[in-house]
Amino acid sequence: MNISFSFLPEYWPYFRDGVYYTLVLAFLTVVIAVIPAICLALMRLSKSKILRFISGAFIEIIRGTPMLVQVSIIYYGVFGAVKLPNYMLFGFMNFAMFLPCIIALAINSSAYVAEVIRAGILAVDRGQTEAARSLGMTQGQCMRMIVLPQAVKNILPALGNEFVTLVKESSICSTIGVSELMFGANLTRGATYQTMGPLLLAAALYLCMTFPASKLLGYVERRMRRGDAR
Amino acid sequence: MATPANHLIEVQGLVKKFGPEITALDHVNLTIDKGQVVVIVGPSGSGKSTLLRSLNLLEIPTEGSVIFEGVDITDKKINLDQHRQKMGMVFQHFNLFPHKTVLENMTLAPIKVKKMPQAEAESMAMDLLRKVGLEDRAQAYPAQLSGGQKQRIAIVRALCMQPDVMLFDEPTSALDPEMVGEVLEVMKDLAAQGMTMVVVTHEMGFAREVGTRVLFMDQGHLLVDQPPEEFFGHPENPRLQEFLSKVL
Repeated sequence: MNISFSFLPEYWPYFRDGVYYTLVLAFLTVVIAVIPAICLALMRLSKSKILRFISGAFIEIIRGTPMLVQVSIIYYGVFGAVKLPNYMLFGFMNFAMFLPCIIALAINSSAYVAEVIRAGILAVDRGQTEAARSLGMTQGQCMRMIVLPQAVKNILPALGNEFVTLVKESSICSTIGVSELMFGANLTRGATYQTMGPLLLAAALYLCMTFPASKLLGYVERRMRRGDAR
Repeated sequence: MATPANHLIEVQGLVKKFGPEITALDHVNLTIDKGQVVVIVGPSGSGKSTLLRSLNLLEIPTEGSVIFEGVDITDKKINLDQHRQKMGMVFQHFNLFPHKTVLENMTLAPIKVKKMPQAEAESMAMDLLRKVGLEDRAQAYPAQLSGGQKQRIAIVRALCMQPDVMLFDEPTSALDPEMVGEVLEVMKDLAAQGMTMVVVTHEMGFAREVGTRVLFMDQGHLLVDQPPEEFFGHPENPRLQEFLSKVL
């Protein structure tokens, strides 16, 4: 086995931009996924059987099919017929690929985040709802003013985990030509016939993103626990 | 016989089942008049908390109806939230909102539900806090209060909605013994001011001293409904005799 990093001087920019791209993808996906996820979670908790079914079915389908298939369906299927401008964001992110990818990732992520939000809402003590309702608050007021503000504490750390997951999972987007980190590694591999070097570098860079993020999360989580005594 | 409108609360044939197996309430009938302090006692699992929680429909009855101020609140067509405003409730575990200050806990519902101006709600809340001796804790968060303080805040929070009846669900059961007194004191004051109260408790002293009527429940049935002198002085029901021999 031949491990060489002689590609670095020439190909390093692909890795650097790839890291940026990966981070942008992961971060934006989480932010965008939160809104549909809240809707899905509230639907799942609603009294209406139809809403519960729609939300449940969507979540099962998304979680039960590979992300690679979902990304391909969105990119080749849904956006195949739409001509998007080949505008370069920040000089290296092609909008025509970036948009379908972000949408596919956000749809996928929303199903997972929905479950996180649902669990966060259910973890708020039932007595809180009872107290609010006994004061005459409507279900909506109770959710907005009492339950959700407390659920956020349970949800935020899990959202961070979702970010870490997306840093890794977004590597799937390389298959449709999005120039994130994995794409940079593959491109280097093809151009230089060096295999282990580029892949090991990519792995190391992924770890450099995920490890500090999980450490930071653990810290934030502990801080939040401290203010939690009721 | 009085018409329903004369009673503040009228419970008719109330049944509550949890699943097909468990019957928590078995055809309970009960009337409560304005100004009465009704104390409900009984062994655990007897259905007393379920009965209390059915009065403001935190438990939805399986059968039967609850008529409050002449309105059947088990009717699905009425706006339940409007009627709940007039029934204050105090819980065993206080259920203060941990992310809000004491003052916000008290003024939230008056401002958002009753649309009371904030200044008015705050001055009313401060008056009530003064009455229970906690005006210096207005800006504190629930986590900074003792159990007894939390429960006194929970009581005045409910009072901020100016309810016509106050429901107490074992208000002293989660408290350290030395804090029970301060909460009972607030409840006694409230009774002395003529507030209608329904109290589920294990405090027999409170029942005897403050109660207008004492109710004994066992296995989902309302077995005894008497003034405290007779209830404690000459209990006739054998189940009640057995219960009292254990708790007194």
